[in-house]
Amino acid sequence: MRYLTAAALALALAIAAPTASGRTNAADAPTATSATTLRVWLMTDANGWMDVVNAANATFKAQHSGVDVKVEIQTWGDHLTKFDAALAGNNAPDVVEFGNTELAKYMAAGALADLTRYKAGFPNSKTWLQGLADAGTYRGKFYGVPYYAGARGVFYRKDFYKAAGITSLPTSLDAFSKDMAKLMKKYGKDSNFSALYFPGQYWYAAMSFVYDYGGAIARFKKGKWVGTLDSSLSQKALTRLKALVRASSRADRTGKEDTQDEVFAQGHVASLIGNGWEWGVITDPKTGNPALDAQLGAYPMPSHIKGKVMPTFLGGSNLAVPVTASDKQLAVDWIKAFTSTSSMRQLASGAGVIANTTVLANVNASKPKLAPFARAAARSWFVPNSPNWVQVENAKVLQNMLVAIFTGRKSIPAATKSASKQITSILNS
Amino acid sequence: MTRGAAGADLLTAPNGSGLAAPLARRRPAFRRRVVRAAAPYALLTPAAVVITGVLAYPLYKLVRLSFQKYGLFELVRHKGEDIRFANYTHILHDSLFWHVVARTVLFAAVNVGLTIVLGTLIALLLERLGRTMRVLLTTGLVCVWAIPVVVSVAVFQWMVDFQFGVVNWLLTQLHIVDYQHHNWFTNPWQGFAVITALIVWGAIPFVAITIYAGLAQLPRELVEAAEVDGANAWRVFWNITLPVLKPIFVILISLSIIWDFQVFIQVWLMLGTTPSEDYYLMSVYSFVESFKISEYGLGSAIAVVMVLIMLSVTFVYVRQMVRIGEAD
Repeated sequence: MRYLTAAALALALAIAAPTASGRTNAADAPTATSATTLRVWLMTDANGWMDVVNAANATFKAQHSGVDVKVEIQTWGDHLTKFDAALAGNNAPDVVEFGNTELAKYMAAGALADLTRYKAGFPNSKTWLQGLADAGTYRGKFYGVPYYAGARGVFYRKDFYKAAGITSLPTSLDAFSKDMAKLMKKYGKDSNFSALYFPGQYWYAAMSFVYDYGGAIARFKKGKWVGTLDSSLSQKALTRLKALVRASSRADRTGKEDTQDEVFAQGHVASLIGNGWEWGVITDPKTGNPALDAQLGAYPMPSHIKGKVMPTFLGGSNLAVPVTASDKQLAVDWIKAFTSTSSMRQLASGAGVIANTTVLANVNASKPKLAPFARAAARSWFVPNSPNWVQVENAKVLQNMLVAIFTGRKSIPAATKSASKQITSILNS
Repeated sequence: MTRGAAGADLLTAPNGSGLAAPLARRRPAFRRRVVRAAAPYALLTPAAVVITGVLAYPLYKLVRLSFQKYGLFELVRHKGEDIRFANYTHILHDSLFWHVVARTVLFAAVNVGLTIVLGTLIALLLERLGRTMRVLLTTGLVCVWAIPVVVSVAVFQWMVDFQFGVVNWLLTQLHIVDYQHHNWFTNPWQGFAVITALIVWGAIPFVAITIYAGLAQLPRELVEAAEVDGANAWRVFWNITLPVLKPIFVILISLSIIWDFQVFIQVWLMLGTTPSEDYYLMSVYSFVESFKISEYGLGSAIAVVMVLIMLSVTFVYVRQMVRIGEAD
């Protein structure tokens, strides 16, 4: 009987502990939000441009001498969980950075302050990157100020290209495919070699083909979303992509792209599609290979139309003010200081990201590590701006479709049809 | 139990013997007895308060949330909408949910079985080993125990890596199967095999060391008597070791059921925090509904159902074991 009592106690503890912890550990130690402290959540990327943040804080404090600014750095993996918990605990910050695909859900739920009447007062608001401004707008109202953007291009090994007899970088998809074939012919005996490393679930890169051919993930028609991956243009693009991947990639056809830079650094890959900042990951002394820096180059992925670039997914961030912020004017003033032309110029030239305004498009033109990605951003696409989009991502609709196509488990018409149907149903639910 | 009974005796004693005693002497004695009886409860109070605050209150919130529509919209306004059993009827009519339940039960059963069987075997081995080997093996077990889950997940991920994994390399080198460029997580059965290996590997030390401690207290003369009567090792284990160690097994199995039923972090991290539906266990499903889709009410309902299933499984098991014990 004594054992039983002990067991019962242990049971009670063991059951209660995990259920409780899963739900309550998200909120950090609360910080007192008096009227004189402005709390700002920026993502870890800001560690790369703390000087810009500090300069903005100084500008802001010159205007509001009694106000303290507290910048808290967050990580992408759990910042929304923390934000939800902070909202629930009445402890939300005054300014929050969101990834541009994350905003829709919060705008739709009324979690963010309507900044429409402040919009014209933000620096460069007339010349913001359209994709970022659209991401911060929901049903005609404005919530998220464009912060910065990132674009994908092709990273390549100059030595491999040269040895395979590629003398000039491809300017059309046809030329690109031919170059990949040359690389496979030269190096293909190495069973780890990929001319283009393309993991099967890499939907950001795959959808660029779809948009290049004039297709789309979904379109908004008569107040309803309609999945359009089964349109003839989308299918044409995916057919082309499948042929390219099967001929030139030995990456996992069922895998994700999250370790592609580490694989590239191992030296068996001639090209991959990646974000501008992945340059640093490939040449990182710990995870990558610094010796590759001299052999590394980049160019925008060419379109199937000769001379044009393929549209790239415009990733990026927006800054928003939660409805719970006590003084919205203060939050707006800080955002103005942080997105001023001089801040943006520093961000673009120093950190190598794409500034939020087309006015600064030429800042990176002379830098070989940045220019290709700035050029790639000239044509961009964005995910359907619906609060339900996150559910399409969670259900892995696009990833499952791509894996089915690349592995040949489903035909392209069958795979695209079922994915389209699923997307239509999720976006309209 | 015995302590409670003693307390009751102290309290009832004055009624029987107190009449004859002088009033002046009776009062302090009575007070002393009351104080002595109350002392354990007073000492327990701080712990009880902490447990109520830390465990009972969140549990209460969880159950309340499960009866509400509580999405992002409600979260911002701090006000859930009461919808009674709608969350429960929703999940009970969701075919994905039933798949997840079946998968969770199977997964827990396999993991508990493997953990207990392998743990017992290692404990028996420990008992038979010489001193040096025993110290070595125990050290190994304790090391495994000491490794944080996040680290062990990373180690297992690298071992089964698509291109650089040592498991693929070894299987290919040994000509067992050509696993050069093989993704273990494409087929959920294989993926769960990797996760099971990780969990069983991590759970064995506790089970093995606990059973070994129990074995050390097994009366030698019982075993010797049985051996004299001609019992083989299997008979000794089945007829002597197992009955004597039954209380330990009851606790270990109950705890394992609870732990393996709500495995979360291993699956979540192993699949790069984006598991597909094939990898949803109840805990993962609840987390996704809550924190990814922001349907906190629905997520809570799943968590409540999970706790109920887990409680009933353990309850039935413990009751069964006690019944058998009473019959003996």
